[in-house]
Amino acid sequence: MTPAEKPPDGLREFAENLKAAPRHIYETAFRGGTPATDRTRSTFIFGNVFLHLHSVRVHRWTLRWSTTMGLGIMTTSAFLITLITGVMLMFYYKPFPEAAYDSMKDIHFVVPTGRFIRNIHRWAANVMVVAVILHMTRAFYTASYRKPREYNWLIGLGLLVVTLGLSFTGYLLPWDQLAYWAITIGSNIAQSPREVTDAIGITQWFDPGGIQKLLLLGSDVVGPEALIRFYLLHVMLLPLALAALMGVHFWRIRKDGGLARPADADARLGPPPAGTYPIFTEAPQRTYQLAAIVKGRTPAVNNGPENTVPSMPHLFYAELGVFMLTVLICLALALVSDAPLKELANPNVPENPAKAPWYFLGLQELVSFSAFMGGIGVPAIVLLGLGLIPYLDREKEGTGQWFGGPGGWPLVRRSIFVGLGSTLLVETLVIRFGWLREWFPHIPQLIITAINPATILTTVYALYSLWLIRRHHSTRAGAMGLFTCFLCGFLVLTIIGTYFRGPNWVFYWSPGDWPKH
Amino acid sequence: MVSAVDEHFLKEWRRIQNVAVSDEGPVEVRLRQVINPGLKVTDRCVSCHITMGAGEGSVRGAKLLAPHKPVFHDPAEYGCTVCHGGQGLATEKAESHGDVHFWPEPMLPARYSYAGCGTCHAPLNVPSREPYQRAVSAFERLDCYACHRVEGRGGTIRPDGGGMEGPDLSKAGLTGYDREWYPKHVEKMQKAPLKAWKMSFSTILDEDRALLDAYLATCVGASRLVEAKAMFHTAGCLGCHKVSGVGGDSGPDLSRAGYKDPGLTDFSHVNGPATLANWQAEHLRSPLSIVVGSQMPSLGMSDRDIEQLVLYTLSLRRRELPISYVPKDRMRALRFGEREFAVDGATVYGTFCAGCHGLAGSGVRSAGLASFPSIANPDLLERVSDEFLANTIRHGRPGRRMPAWGDMESGIRPEEIRAVVTYLRSLSGVTHKPESVPPRWVKADSASGKALFASACAGCHGAQGEGGEAPALNNQVLLASATDTYLVETIGRGRRGTVMQGFLDPSPARRTLAGTEIESVVAFIRTWEKKQP
Repeated sequence: MTPAEKPPDGLREFAENLKAAPRHIYETAFRGGTPATDRTRSTFIFGNVFLHLHSVRVHRWTLRWSTTMGLGIMTTSAFLITLITGVMLMFYYKPFPEAAYDSMKDIHFVVPTGRFIRNIHRWAANVMVVAVILHMTRAFYTASYRKPREYNWLIGLGLLVVTLGLSFTGYLLPWDQLAYWAITIGSNIAQSPREVTDAIGITQWFDPGGIQKLLLLGSDVVGPEALIRFYLLHVMLLPLALAALMGVHFWRIRKDGGLARPADADARLGPPPAGTYPIFTEAPQRTYQLAAIVKGRTPAVNNGPENTVPSMPHLFYAELGVFMLTVLICLALALVSDAPLKELANPNVPENPAKAPWYFLGLQELVSFSAFMGGIGVPAIVLLGLGLIPYLDREKEGTGQWFGGPGGWPLVRRSIFVGLGSTLLVETLVIRFGWLREWFPHIPQLIITAINPATILTTVYALYSLWLIRRHHSTRAGAMGLFTCFLCGFLVLTIIGTYFRGPNWVFYWSPGDWPKH
Repeated sequence: MVSAVDEHFLKEWRRIQNVAVSDEGPVEVRLRQVINPGLKVTDRCVSCHITMGAGEGSVRGAKLLAPHKPVFHDPAEYGCTVCHGGQGLATEKAESHGDVHFWPEPMLPARYSYAGCGTCHAPLNVPSREPYQRAVSAFERLDCYACHRVEGRGGTIRPDGGGMEGPDLSKAGLTGYDREWYPKHVEKMQKAPLKAWKMSFSTILDEDRALLDAYLATCVGASRLVEAKAMFHTAGCLGCHKVSGVGGDSGPDLSRAGYKDPGLTDFSHVNGPATLANWQAEHLRSPLSIVVGSQMPSLGMSDRDIEQLVLYTLSLRRRELPISYVPKDRMRALRFGEREFAVDGATVYGTFCAGCHGLAGSGVRSAGLASFPSIANPDLLERVSDEFLANTIRHGRPGRRMPAWGDMESGIRPEEIRAVVTYLRSLSGVTHKPESVPPRWVKADSASGKALFASACAGCHGAQGEGGEAPALNNQVLLASATDTYLVETIGRGRRGTVMQGFLDPSPARRTLAGTEIESVVAFIRTWEKKQP
């Protein structure tokens, strides 16, 4: 025992530990070490709680640009951007009518970079809505909803609805004229089942429309109750729902065997080009033991791993690229265009025209003929139809290919003409000659609810689709026709609602022709 | 990064503060604001206009750093937007001055600054222009400025007086003043050892004292606003428009006209800039060319009159205030029913009647509108009693534009009606000739009267006497008030200066009526009268 020698050792050890602490923290955080080999690349993923939703290896087909166009990741990225900027905005936002407006002004004028953050938030939200619609379009046209991905398609529909809900609830929060009247329109659409219950005279006993509006607003008019409700939905319930659904959506991709690809994907891809990162750097040391107890088409079961590459770096770099692109788009838009903020909300001075958020303007166009059909009936039919597609189309041909299935691109092209043509024709007639109410002022409301542009277009699309099913002997053909038609209808109606409708919802070629008050 | 740089280095207010210097050296660069929760004010104007902030009066640098001229309401306490308008929350020039889209309240132009007082105040007892000018000139003529100061003018110390100076009277109308001032002045003059008193004060006639009292009542520290309001009480605007619950119903309520949102105002027919002031000016110049279908007569006013009316219209703001901030004048008007106009006949006439009946009572003809009767016409005033006039004002002409002023909550009070009647008499200088016969003496054949009416009268008065170019004759209030003599005389002798010529007078151009024929017409007119139940 030489106590005199001990203390210097302890101190040196302490000093060395202190010096090594950063390295140790890094090593304990990323236990696998640098992702340099197949093994470490794998541990990089499954050793990370956030990344392990990805499979460790990814098929080369998935990485093709044309497979996804990065739209799903773009939606997710936009969501992350809104999440971060949204939390930043929450530090300053006060959810009470006039205080809300003042806090918007504060964010705009005095909060450091507040205006920019708000612009990003607003643009990211719009990018998210666009991207989620395009993502669904991609998934549809590549027939990716088919077995075994039917349920994930349904989750995706849920995500679409929650995304629109998030965007819509956020619309009220600035509490300016734009917000106030857009939400007033929205809540009146929620009340539109009254159109039917009034017409058959049962509203006083059975009033689902009134209940819906009351649930939405917490009051008869848009007021403080509505604001706090929308705020709660916008910052808590809907984001939580979205995050949960997103988790399921991603996890399902893995469980359903990665992204959809054609049965002959391997053959079509050919051998990996020379210089591709080696597919396997070392021989597998273990067999896939789980294969004995897990049923299903996990990546390693029934499929050779030959055409897969490690997700790290191939997939992650692609995802990072899309994320950065999304950030770039949002930042650029935020720099050049300020989010709107009109006058303080004033219940006594209606905006004319009062317009809903742009993605609902197609519906508002239909609502102008029949609130119930445009606002509730047709959207419900569309959602129901979308939800049923994977269960009605049980075919195999064309999965994973753009416009795959009987008919292919020529069918879609024809459907575009049918969809655009019929929608434009109906709208032209209606704008030029008016509708039933103008011709027969005393016509019962029920007839208008039953026969209006919304129902006529839906019927035309449906008949066209049935004809396609018969002609091509394929449900997929009908589905492609129907989806294309609805997409064209959505496009045409949204553009008309956005750019060509003026005060009192009258058609004008340009806002310059609007009457001045 | 770009945004952060912009926020921190490119903001105009930072650049202004960077070069500003106070007595203690360069000022600290930070966002400055005036907050007054009671008035709901958060004004960041002082980030650029630093000198107007609390305790920063000594800051120098740029032109916009000139200190505010001395005012009763310190901007450091009351903020800026309460008086000047604009967007206090904003920190950029265009946005804060408020002349941008989607901000309903742009700043008042500098020449209309006094309109800002109207945010809270409502000057009371303001006469119409002519009495106001008489009162103003009386104060000047009697040399009150020698000792008293009003809005920075006058109150010079007499060279031999050793410091004699009367109190500042700028706000005498707001704070009140000693009603016994005249006897006290006289007493002081007699006792005063100083020559200054004897030199500058002498006896004042009763009527001049009345003028001085009228003047003092209007001293609220904003003579330009009072002058503009006097014009408002000359042009008869309240005949159709309401302000704070007083006035007629046929035009829009003007109580908050100064807050009219330019963004919701139609400028498509307005020449010149799209500002509220310009809209009001152009509209006053020619209402019908700005507002399609307007029922407002064109008043044919000079540019100066219009300028004053614009100033007053812009001052109609009347913001809702917490009770502790409601000024005395507004409280007196709201709770104690004091009038914003003086209650002499000329002013009441100017306030309610002049818009339609003309500044001198000679009637108004305006394109697109039925002509308004000339009520100061000597032929009329000679034939009607004061009771007739008062009755007409009280009950109006139902169905025509003349409202029932005495029956309306927002109308004219009985003593004010009496004052107007007296004033009308004074306009023409004619007294009523009492009638010796009973009110209803005509006994004639109404059937032949009907034919005569159709040929001689219906062209102007309408087939059923419903009025057209000329007044309505089937009006129940008229028929109740008018005596037969009045009708016979009016038809027979006509009304000078109007289209109505006497039907007894020979004329080559149109038919005449004999005395008995006139009586038949009167009998026919009487058939429209509904018998009182």
